[in-house]
Amino acid sequence: MSIFCIGVNYKTTRIEVRERLAISEHSVPAHLDTICNLKGVNEAVVLSTCNRVEIYGGGEDPVVALDSLQAYLESYFQVRSGEVDFYRHQQEAAANHLFEVAGGLDSMVLGETEIFGQVKKAYMIAQKVGSTARQMNKLFQQSFTVGKLVRSNTSIQQGSTSVGSAAVDLAEKIFGSLEGCSVMIIGAGEMSRVTAQSLVSRGARSIIVSNRSYDKAAELAAELNGEAVRFDDWESKLDFVDIVISSTAAPHTVVQAFPIRRAMARRRGRSLFLIDIAVPRDIEDGVNVLDNVYLYNIDQLQQIASEGKARRERQLVICREVIAAFLREKGIDALAPLPPDRARHQDTEQNRTDSPGSGQPLTEP
Amino acid sequence: MDLIYLILATLTFGGGFALAVASLRREEGRRHGLGIPLAVVGLVFQLLFLRERGALHGRCPITSGAEVLVFVSWSIVVFYLILGRAFRLSLLGVFSMPIVFLLQVIAIGLLLFSDPGARPPARLDVWLEMHASTSLLAYGAFGLAGIAGVMYLVQDRQLKSRQLGRLFYSMPPIRYLMSALERLLWIGSLLLTVGIVAAFWMDVRPNATHLFIYGFVWLVYIALIIVHALRQLVSRRFALYVIGAFVIALVSLSALSL
Repeated sequence: MSIFCIGVNYKTTRIEVRERLAISEHSVPAHLDTICNLKGVNEAVVLSTCNRVEIYGGGEDPVVALDSLQAYLESYFQVRSGEVDFYRHQQEAAANHLFEVAGGLDSMVLGETEIFGQVKKAYMIAQKVGSTARQMNKLFQQSFTVGKLVRSNTSIQQGSTSVGSAAVDLAEKIFGSLEGCSVMIIGAGEMSRVTAQSLVSRGARSIIVSNRSYDKAAELAAELNGEAVRFDDWESKLDFVDIVISSTAAPHTVVQAFPIRRAMARRRGRSLFLIDIAVPRDIEDGVNVLDNVYLYNIDQLQQIASEGKARRERQLVICREVIAAFLREKGIDALAPLPPDRARHQDTEQNRTDSPGSGQPLTEP
Repeated sequence: MDLIYLILATLTFGGGFALAVASLRREEGRRHGLGIPLAVVGLVFQLLFLRERGALHGRCPITSGAEVLVFVSWSIVVFYLILGRAFRLSLLGVFSMPIVFLLQVIAIGLLLFSDPGARPPARLDVWLEMHASTSLLAYGAFGLAGIAGVMYLVQDRQLKSRQLGRLFYSMPPIRYLMSALERLLWIGSLLLTVGIVAAFWMDVRPNATHLFIYGFVWLVYIALIIVHALRQLVSRRFALYVIGAFVIALVSLSALSL
């Protein structure tokens, strides 16, 4: 009995092909039902996200199982044989691959945590459908443990990887929790919207949008559930906001030091985080010398993001060592099935303890 | 035996600091989680030292410069263990340990070269014990406030200079640091107020010099709290003054110990 995996991801396959192979959540049970009846496949889990489509399985003969899985995928999704470059892994390689996926090491944004939840969900669906048995149960439980180990024992999650996340990380280093923080956007451009959305996703509220064209401000404010103010009035709002994102197309400085200095005197020591993502710059650089004012421009945010990416790249080696050590310690033997009568008993026990929400390995890191 | 306990406590804090620095310097790999356990072990050795000295004198062991320094170090550790975690300021331990280490090294030196030995009291005076212990606990709170002030300045500098070093990601948000600093000043000032008030109920008349020094330190901190509450100081300067105030408090401590 072996474990195996077949799939495509963003590294091996273009998006045009991946979207043809994508398996929607509601159709996963039907696929699992069919897959478990394929030659050589005894159990299976389907993981389909925007960056990957993978099928993990257990069965007697991995080569036969992988061939039948590939044939099934090619026929179902109507791709010519050889048109898609599926990767195929067996035993340790399959386990290692899943562990890297769960740890975020195979993600487009290294170390991202969303994939962990997606792996968990894929397993829960398969478990609900009844397409998992001892091998998949054990493998996925271990992948949750490894995902947690990788994140807690390394700095793979540390450092920002985009301008938006750099802005959010900096805001959190100034204010702590962003819940209750209010944000003002000057210039209703795309970059402002994306950055504001990152802040809102981490709890920021009270979005104020100001733009030369009031209609555009109102449009973005409606999208972000905020308030639009006339461009002439943004200065009056400075007293009440914690974060200002400026991204106008103005060829000159929009936010001068004087109004900021005046507002800081009224803010009674509350910090102000200014994010200038406009080129040419909107905010006078001199405001950074004011007490409790922190100004970052697009270059500085990009620099933080590239340093963060490099930092995560360097962590990859350590993460792989953690996985290798885990595999060495636990070994693939632990995934080997028991004799049929014992296995059936254990499956029942396993399913009882592995039910979603129970057991430590299922906890989000 | 008391000296051995003190050396063990000092080594524990020194080791804890070295481990924390090594962990922060190492970019890759896991952060060691020994900060709290080591602080607890160090605290136990401090308590054993204080117990031995208490047994020697038959009263609260704050009869010499060395004991006063250990008592202040002990209260810094206690406040760190209680408040550091409550304020999510785990790195406070990294900054506290070198101060505690330094204070205890001086205490060891004092014990080795000028230990006055047992000083049994004529009669146990509860108010005297209360005056001394709450005042020194207040110094612990002020010490930790000074350390939070250093952390605030470090984090503020990193944010202003846009040079985000390895330390940046391990440091708490500056808003939390400021909040911890304010609370520690309040706690310290309240304790010192209790200590000073207790002095007036002591059997013996309070030493005028001691009372003046405690009163001066109390005034410095009350002035800081008021000025900060009135928002007359920017945060950076406030943090700087809190550090300065602790230096004044430490100097006054040496005068009290004479």
